[in-house]
Order: sequence, then C-alpha cells, then structure tokens
Amino acid sequence: MAIRELKVCLLGDTGVGKSSIVCRFVQDHFDHNISPTIGASFLTKTVPCGNELHKFLIWDTAGQERFHSLAPMYYRGSAAAVIVYDITKLDSFQTLKKWVKELKEHGPEDIVVAIAGNKNDLGDIREVPMKEAKEFAESIAAIFIETSARNAVNVEELFQKISKQIPPLENPEVDSNKSFKLTQQPPPSARRCC
Amino acid sequence: MAAEDLPSEFDVIILGTGLCESVVAAACSRVGQRVLHLDRQSYYASNWASFTFNGLLTWIQEQQAESQPDEVQDWSGQVEEGEDLIYLSQSDSSSISNLQVFCYTSEEDEEDDTPNTTEEEKGGGASEATEAADSNKEDEEETEKQEAEEQVAQDEGAEPEADQPCPSADPNQSEPVKKKKISLAQLVKEGRRFNIDLVSKLMYSRGSLVDLLIKSNVSRYAEFKNVSRILTYRQGKVEQVPCSRADVFASRQLSVIEKRKLMRFLTSCVEETEDQQAYNGRPYLEFLSDQQLGENLQHFLLYSIAMATEDTPTEVGLASTRHFLRCLGRYGNTPFLFPVYGLGEIPQCFCRMCAVFGGIYCLRHSVRCLLVDKDTNRCKAVIDSRGQRISCNHFVVEEGYVDAERKQTATPTRCVSRAVLITDGSVLPSDSDQQVSMVTIPPVEAELPSVRMVELCSSTMTCMPGTYLVHLTCQSVGSAYEDLSPLVTRMFHTTESSDQEERPSVLWCLYFNMVDGSGLEVEGHDLPSNMYLCSGPDGALGHDHTIKQAELIFQKILPEEDFCPPAPNPEDIIYDGENGNGNSAEGEELKDDELKDDEEPKEQEEELTEQEKEIKEQEEEIKEQEEEKEEEQGLESEKGQGLETEE
Ligand SMILES: Cc1cc2nc3c(=O)[nH]c(=O)nc-3n(C[C@H](O)[C@H](O)[C@H](O)COP(=O)(O)OP(=O)(O)OC[C@H]3O[C@@H](n4cnc5c(N)ncnc54)[C@H](O)[C@@H]3O)c2cc1C
Ligand SMILES: Nc1nc2c(ncn2[C@@H]2O[C@H](COP(=O)(O)OP(=O)(O)O)[C@@H](O)[C@H]2O)c(=O)[nH]1
Ligand SMILES: [Mg+2]
Repeated sequence: MAIRELKVCLLGDTGVGKSSIVCRFVQDHFDHNISPTIGASFLTKTVPCGNELHKFLIWDTAGQERFHSLAPMYYRGSAAAVIVYDITKLDSFQTLKKWVKELKEHGPEDIVVAIAGNKNDLGDIREVPMKEAKEFAESIAAIFIETSARNAVNVEELFQKISKQIPPLENPEVDSNKSFKLTQQPPPSARRCC
Repeated sequence: MAAEDLPSEFDVIILGTGLCESVVAAACSRVGQRVLHLDRQSYYASNWASFTFNGLLTWIQEQQAESQPDEVQDWSGQVEEGEDLIYLSQSDSSSISNLQVFCYTSEEDEEDDTPNTTEEEKGGGASEATEAADSNKEDEEETEKQEAEEQVAQDEGAEPEADQPCPSADPNQSEPVKKKKISLAQLVKEGRRFNIDLVSKLMYSRGSLVDLLIKSNVSRYAEFKNVSRILTYRQGKVEQVPCSRADVFASRQLSVIEKRKLMRFLTSCVEETEDQQAYNGRPYLEFLSDQQLGENLQHFLLYSIAMATEDTPTEVGLASTRHFLRCLGRYGNTPFLFPVYGLGEIPQCFCRMCAVFGGIYCLRHSVRCLLVDKDTNRCKAVIDSRGQRISCNHFVVEEGYVDAERKQTATPTRCVSRAVLITDGSVLPSDSDQQVSMVTIPPVEAELPSVRMVELCSSTMTCMPGTYLVHLTCQSVGSAYEDLSPLVTRMFHTTESSDQEERPSVLWCLYFNMVDGSGLEVEGHDLPSNMYLCSGPDGALGHDHTIKQAELIFQKILPEEDFCPPAPNPEDIIYDGENGNGNSAEGEELKDDELKDDEEPKEQEEELTEQEKEIKEQEEEIKEQEEEKEEEQGLESEKGQGLETEE
C-alpha cells in the first residue's frame, strides 16, 4: 500500500487541549500536566484510508500561539488544519474566527479545515452551544466534531474525517527540479545529472 | 489571545529574529537554556524576512513613513541599587535607504473587483497588514511612483521622457488577449501566495548553513530546490556556464580543446601547487590568463565559478573555485540550493526549533532599556515595551536595536544595493519554465560593480505562475537605482528601454540599499559584558559570516555546551506515563525507516554505475573525436583523480 505523508497543523488558543489531542491520538495517552510539547517537532501516526496509508505528520504550535507569534512557515504545505476551542470557554470559541482568518492568510489554499470543540467531558460547565459551533463550521465548509482528549472521545474520528476529505493523489508532477528535504544522504534522484 | 504577562526570569533574552539571533536562540534552547525571543516587528526574520506581495507593499510604506520618535519614558523607578540604565534605539529604519518602486504594468484589469470575491477575501483572510496594503495600495503606489520619478528625473537628467512606468490601461481593458501583461491588480490578488525575500543569498550545498541545518535536524522544517543552472551575461548575451562534468561534456558552446583545457584546469586547481603560490597577492585574472585558457573559459572561471572580480587576488580566487567544485554534485549539478518559500523560512525554522525546546516567542514586543550592574558591567535585566522588568543572564540583540554611538562599525558604512523585479519571462528561456538560475554579471559599464542575479521560478513559491522573481545584488557604489538600473534596462524590457523582442518585461520593481552586516566589529563595543551583537545580512552569496557569528556568540554564552546537537526524531519521542505505548503504527514506521536506510545506499550504487557508464560513453565519444593517444592518457589520469575527490 502506498504511504502518503500528510502534514496537519493545530491551531487554537493556549490551554484548549491541542497537545492533549495529539497525545491522545498518537500515544493514546492523557496527562493532566502535559509538558508543553518539549522536544517534539511533530508527531506521526499512520492510519489506513481506502487503499492508501495516511501518515499524519502532526505539527503542534510549540507554544508560539501563546503570544500570537506563530511563524508562517508553520502552515507551509499543510494538507489539513485542526482548529481547537474549549467548549467550556466562550473566549476560545470567539477567537476561532481569528484563527480561521490567520489560516486563510498564511495557509495553503486547498487546506482541509476541521474544527474541534474539545473537553466535551465537561458538559456541565459548557459555555459554547454545540449548535452554534456546528453552524459556524458549516459556514466555512469545515469539518466539525466535539472531542475529549481526556476520555478518548472522537479523537480517532476527527482524524478519520480528515483522512476522508483529503483529495486523492494527483498525478505526480513531471517537474525535473523537485523540492526535497536535506538529509545526511542526498536524495537519490538528485544524483542523476543531466 | 488576551495580553498575558511574560515570565519574569530567563537565562537568555534575544531581541530580533534575523538569522544570527534565531540560530543563537535555537542553540541555547536546545541545550536547556530558558530563552525569551522577541521582535518589535509583527513578522519574523527582521531584514532577512520574506513577504507576500501585499506584505511587501506594507513594508515599503513603513520604510517610507517617517519614524516617529516615541515619547521617552522614564524607567528610573525600576532601577535598583547599583544599577545603570541603557536605553535601546526604538527605530531601525536606518538600515534601509534609497527605496524606489516602479510599476511597468497596468494597475487594473477587467476581471478584477468582482465585488463578491474581493469582499469575501477581505472578510475572511485579510490580516491587519493586508488590509492596510489593500486599502492604501493605490494611493501609495501613486505617490511612490511620483516620488521615484521625481528622484529619477533628478538623478538621471538624461532620460526624463522615458519615465512612463504605467502604460495606459486602456488597450489592455478590451479583452484578455494572448500576450496580455499581468496587471498590478492581479499581482496583488495572487500576492498572498508568494514570498519575496529582502535578502538574496543561496546556500552552498557544502556550506556552513547546510551543514548546520542537517546537523541540528532543523532541516526537516523546510524543503529545498536545486539552483538548476549557472548563467552568465557576456557581450549582451545570456549564456549557460557548464558546471558539472556532464555539463562540460554536453556543452555545445565549448570546443573539444576547450573542454579538455577546462577539465585539466579544474582538476589541477583542486590541489594547491607551488606554481599557484607564486601568484599569491597577484590578481586571479593574471593567473588565469597565464594558463592559456582562452577568453571563453577565462570568463566562466573568473566570473561564474570563482565569482571573483578582475582584481581578486589569486589565492582568494582559487579558494572560491575549490569551494564551488566541492559543492558540485551533492544535491544537484550546481553548487547551490534555495529554500522553497524563500530564504525568510530559514530563521523561522530555527525559531521553531527554539520553541520546540521551550523557548518563548513574542512578536510586536521589544526591550526599552537594560539594567546594568555598575560593578560587574553585566546586564541583569531588561525592561520590555510594557514596562515589565525581566531578568536574564545573557542578552543577545540585533545591531539595529543599538544606538550607533555604542557600536564599533567599519567606517564608512558599507551597503548592499538590491533590486527585486517581477518579470514575465526568463532571461534564458529553455525547455523547462521551472529553472532556478544564478547569473553572474561582470560590470556592464566602467565604475559599476559586478552584479549577482538570482532568477526564481514559480515552483519556488516566490512568484505567481507565468512570472519570475529576479533578485539583483551588488556592493553599493551609488544608490541601488544608480548601481542596478543600467543593467535592468539592458537585460529587460521596461518602458525605459527601447522596444526589443526576446527580452523579458519587468512588471514591477523595487530598488533599495541595505546596510552590509559584515561591517560590524565583533569586539570593542561600549556595552555590558554579557551582551552580544548580531549583525544583519551581509552582501556575500553564502551564509558563512552569519553562522560563524552565531556559533561564536553561543560559545561565549555556553562555552561547555555542544552547538545545535541533533533534535530527536519524532518517532523516538516517548511521552512519559504508564500507558504511553499505545501507538501500533510506530513500530511500522520505524521499520519503514530502517528499510529506507537500507535501500538508499543500494540505489546510490546503482546510480553511480549508471553515471559512470554514461560518463565513460561520453568520454569515448570524445576519444573518437580525438585521435592522439597521448591525450587519452591525460584524460585517464584526470578521471582517476575525479574519483578520488569523491567521498
Ligand atoms: C567545468 C568543470 C569541469 C570539471 N572537470 C573535472 C575533471 O575533469 N575532473 C575532476 O575530477 N573534476 C572535475 N570537475 C569537478 C567535478 O565536477 C566535481 O567537483 C567533483 O567530481 C565532485 O562532484 P561530483 O562527482 O559529486 O558531481 P558530478 O560532477 O555532477 O558527477 C555526478 C556523478 O558522476 C560521478 N563522477 C564524477 N566524476 C567522475 C569520474 N571522473 N569518473 C567516474 N564517475 C564520475 C560521481 O560519482 C558523481 O556521483 C569539474 C568541474 C567543472 C565545473
Ligand atoms: N477535562 C479535560 N481536560 C483537558 C482535555 N484536553 C486537555 N485538557 C487539559 O487542558 C489543559 C491544556 O491542555 P494542552 O493540551 O496543554 O493545551 P494546548 O495549550 O492547546 O496544547 C491541560 O491541563 C489538559 O490536561 C479534555 O478533553 N478534557
Ligand atoms: Mg500545547
């Protein structure tokens, strides 16, 4: 089966549970005092989708969202973005629109957007009605789902929904000067010269 | 996104997000230092930044606006016993000068301003910056043009009638015909998708930046493209410089004799010889002409391979020739790489590495003043733009934040002249419209400097499809316009140049001068002992100066620590906690990676033999062409050496 690498970036205010969602998805683990992503450039997990394997490269903000200083390079080449808010914090839902705007500004055009209302285990102190969030998501043609990283609710589903929305692979370009990553070993194809 | 307070204690505070500062930030954070990294701008990378087209228009506006001196606030209330106060400079506009903008295409086109899309884009996507650019675009362009024109008229009294930067829009309004120029409105509309750098440099494939990116694993945040060809401008024509061995064999420009001479020369200059040493201190040109290479080869070797000038000394010329040759073939058949989305990505990548290891980032935030211990002359704390006192052990700052009186700089200040052009065609059209070209241009007139041109295609994400982004760079003699416009007029079609086919048209262009960062002295500043100055971009093609400086600063801060050791792979990170073993995919991925590692060398061996076969075939071709057997032996031995130089 072909493996397709898909970069996914996470957005949303500090404290809404972005890192917890990644940790739940990748490690199936939840920690109340999750250290702020120290040392993790991105985490990966592979899931089957049709006759492809999707290898998600999940980029966390590395805390750069805290003072609203995310670098544009964070969004480059993302296939999808998950914008997270906290259903118990109205503020975090209101700033959602700013994150959508930021994404439109800096992100790729054809990016798949998902909105995740996290901490839905705390329904009794909910401040954001599900209906309102759902309507907003529909208005921007985004995936919508409520999750709980704590109770492992809908986290897998979130990524499954994203997988389904990823458009099928186009024919690989016949661009002789393709871009590549730098590694110790040069990419084999680059060695073939004129 | 409410205004949260910053923590009040750090190990290292870094001000400015240029390349040097960002590398220092990543290096410190990586080994466990608590880093606070600030920039007064709303964007990353200081003078190394890249902008969307709209962002660039805003930047231009900011440069042209007179910077308002802030009211000087009195922070003496925060000063403790035994402390001195040093104020930092609050504006850095001084590093950019002589900015001029020209637009050679129509402002509008008919499909523009369908109210729906424009409105939606504004509502949905525009940041503050874009909105400013959008709403002010036209006025600003107008005034700029006028200003620029006035200045041009003053500077170049000779050709005032030529200035008609925007040909009347009417002919274009009729219908979208085949060869219709892309309008400014279209550039603005598509502008969010491409990234225009203020600095134009390339990465040597075996240079210190590439080495550092690989060593630290920062490289995985970015992608790169090969510069696909080296060109030169000679006698009014653009020519391709044969670069790799295969290029030389394939070259149609070179005669068989020339090919052999070139091969022999390049092989011989890999090793330092006594013959070469005899030329030390004398011009490389003299050395070259004594090798009896002929004019063609001499031009290629001097300007395109050594990237030298007529008076570059031989030892310098040979050193850069060797560097060029060492860098060939690592990733492609020229020595250079360019980051996709532009050079401005690189500082951001190092900043991300810093953040990943716990560094705290805050743009639009600066330091007003430093609190310095009178006895030790060490900076103990800073006061930030909100008046908060934040303590630190070390303070790293980009030189633009420090008043001139405190700095030791080379006098007179050296500058780099820059031009940024959006054009509608390549200077040397070829089968592929996706070439990345480095063009070396000897002085086109006496008194003018030699110029470096980098032409980028749309797949580098620096310009829209159908256009090219052209960067011109040289050491300043006069203003950027004076230094570079004669060349622009010669190589491109503008309204200033007489009608001529075959030359690409300039749609839009920007000239400015930037202070050359290599002029900053490392020592001897009137500053606290734990404060380190980083210089801005220098005029050289590579990044050695900056990377060396960053490493030096890091070693002063943390003499015992390793500089940018590799960050762990994503697969190796285990969240601690009892049940942190859940991901079944992890095993698969590791296996997958191992497989790849196994495969790679095999593939390369195959490549090698394939290449060798190819090369042998070509050599045989040449042999057939030649009949003298002695010559054959010559080639044989060269071939042997070529393999030895391989790693
Ligand atoms: C105009 C020009 C002429 C040059 N002529 C020579 C020369 O005559 N001799 C020389 O040593 N260097 C020559 N060089 C330098 C040479 O191209 C490279 O610097 C050096 O060989 C390392 O690059 P490379 O082999 O990795 O890349 P490339 O030159 O692009 O070669 C690609 C592949 O070809 C293979 N290869 C390269 N050279 C040989 C060889 N001689 N035999 C079999 N396989 C080979 C290598 O395995 C390499 O992987 C020349 C450079 C220039 C710019
Ligand atoms: N109750 C509950 N708490 C959560 C959930 N997800 C995250 N948290 C907590 O919210 C806090 C912030 O989470 P974190 O992942 O660091 O948020 P980030 O800043 O967006 O990355 C942590 O204390 C988490 O334990 C959830 O689904 N339910
Ligand atoms: Mg987090």
